[in-house]
Amino acid sequence: MRTVGVVVLALLAVVYLFPFYWMVTTAVRPLADFYQFPAPIFPSEVTLEPFSSVMIGRQFVTLLRNSLIACLGAVVFGIAIGMLIAYPVTRLPVPPAFRRGLLNWILSLRFLPPIVVVIPFFDIIRRLGLYDALGSLVLLYTVFSLPFATWMLRGFLLEVPLEIEEAALIDGASRLRAFFTVLLPQLAPALLATAVITFALAWSEFMFGFILTATQRSQTFPIGVASLVTQFQIIWNEMAAAGTVAAIVPILLLLFARRYVVTALTFGAVREKA
Amino acid sequence: MTPYLLVAPPVLLLAALVIYPLVYNVVLSLRNYRTGEFVGLHNFARAFDDPLFFASLRATGVYVSWALATEILLGLALALLVHRTIRSGWARTLIYVLFFIPMVTPPVVAGVIARLMYSPNYGVINVALAKLGLIDTEILWLSEPGTAMFAVLSVDVWQWMPFVFLVCFAGLQSVPMDTVEAARVDGAGGWRLFRHVELPYLRSLLMLVVVFRFTDTFRVFDHVQVLTGGGPGASTEFLSLYLYRIAFKFFNLSYAAALSLFVLAVASVAFAVLGRYLGKEVGE
Repeated sequence: MRTVGVVVLALLAVVYLFPFYWMVTTAVRPLADFYQFPAPIFPSEVTLEPFSSVMIGRQFVTLLRNSLIACLGAVVFGIAIGMLIAYPVTRLPVPPAFRRGLLNWILSLRFLPPIVVVIPFFDIIRRLGLYDALGSLVLLYTVFSLPFATWMLRGFLLEVPLEIEEAALIDGASRLRAFFTVLLPQLAPALLATAVITFALAWSEFMFGFILTATQRSQTFPIGVASLVTQFQIIWNEMAAAGTVAAIVPILLLLFARRYVVTALTFGAVREKA
Repeated sequence: MTPYLLVAPPVLLLAALVIYPLVYNVVLSLRNYRTGEFVGLHNFARAFDDPLFFASLRATGVYVSWALATEILLGLALALLVHRTIRSGWARTLIYVLFFIPMVTPPVVAGVIARLMYSPNYGVINVALAKLGLIDTEILWLSEPGTAMFAVLSVDVWQWMPFVFLVCFAGLQSVPMDTVEAARVDGAGGWRLFRHVELPYLRSLLMLVVVFRFTDTFRVFDHVQVLTGGGPGASTEFLSLYLYRIAFKFFNLSYAAALSLFVLAVASVAFAVLGRYLGKEVGE
């Protein structure tokens, strides 16, 4: 039984690691490697030229900047707005039906297919003259990060004992003051985890960016990656280099916050130890 | 008063950015997009005579059922295997990280990776199969309907079987030790231990996984757009891709809006199922 386990896992390790190996090594290959068939399994030499030609030659640094702005916007607004919902439903006296209704409504956004929103949204922003503008992406990324941000914050708030604020309230502090001076410092690690997960999810978003932007002025990084996949001539090493950059950001961020990821993705139904 | 004051801004924002667009969609769907005139239910009636819509529906059905079945069976089996055979803490952490990484890779990148694996002139899958003696002519994975469907499905399974695994594995670890011990003393091993002791603990988590995977496979877009673009022909043109083509290639937003309301209805059913079966986990 144990041997079976080890063999199966070894096979899966190949199935899961080799594709990454292939992408990363494709990204550092010189063009000559692509004229051999089959391509050598190890790059004939290692070059960073594909990265520089994508990032600088094709100006993907602009897309990187756009992604940073859109994702950081989603993080800031998503957490602020998520807190405006999570705080009252966990800390203030509200009817249970109101609390449940509000939280479920936010949760339902997770199940709203993006294509349903993007069709009317396209027509609306085109009429408003906001087509191909980073601002409309920030708005949508904020909305679609709300289910995760709100539910994570709610989970974290439930773990902070009420007595902590009550002590401050008894000492004469206002609710607002107690929130900022007592509760918020307690929540610092929680806010960081929420920010990281919100950022990574927004970073990976594709459909909104694909449909609502047209030029490098507002395209996000994944849109650039997809634009290198063309029907006829694919420049393999550049496509792989862009893919590597696009993948490394969420992987590193979420490995750092990995304790919270499965819990966040299942809205608290799975509590994790790992 | 204050709680309602606090939630007012988010509610207004969502009204403007979610409810308004959905209402707008209904209005769009009742018009002729080009002329703007009111056409009643014409766009909905049109769907019934649209063979491409039905083809897309069927492709989506095939995709959803294969992806769900494969991911859940493999993920659950793997969770059991690791739970039963791997004891050491560091090995478990290593396995965790191995399966965590594909899950958090952007779907577009998963599509790019698949492109690097399946493409005829650079792909390694053909090379590997030829080396193993399994094929003697190249398979044009992305040019045949059947193999293209397999390719897009394989990306979904590769990315999301790990999610099922991680959820089930966490669930298995929450089964109380003494319950398992008691069952073992009573002579329950292997299959019976799973069927009568562990499965009841996993049931609600499995429902949750089904709903999440259904929702995400039903709306699939990103990696398919990169890998096949819906082709060859319309063989992998799933609903989101078909709606994309109608709305943004043919610029018939009204017809796309009508079809999108159908997509919304199906997604709403999935959400309702989640609420009903998982009241405890998510309703609270």
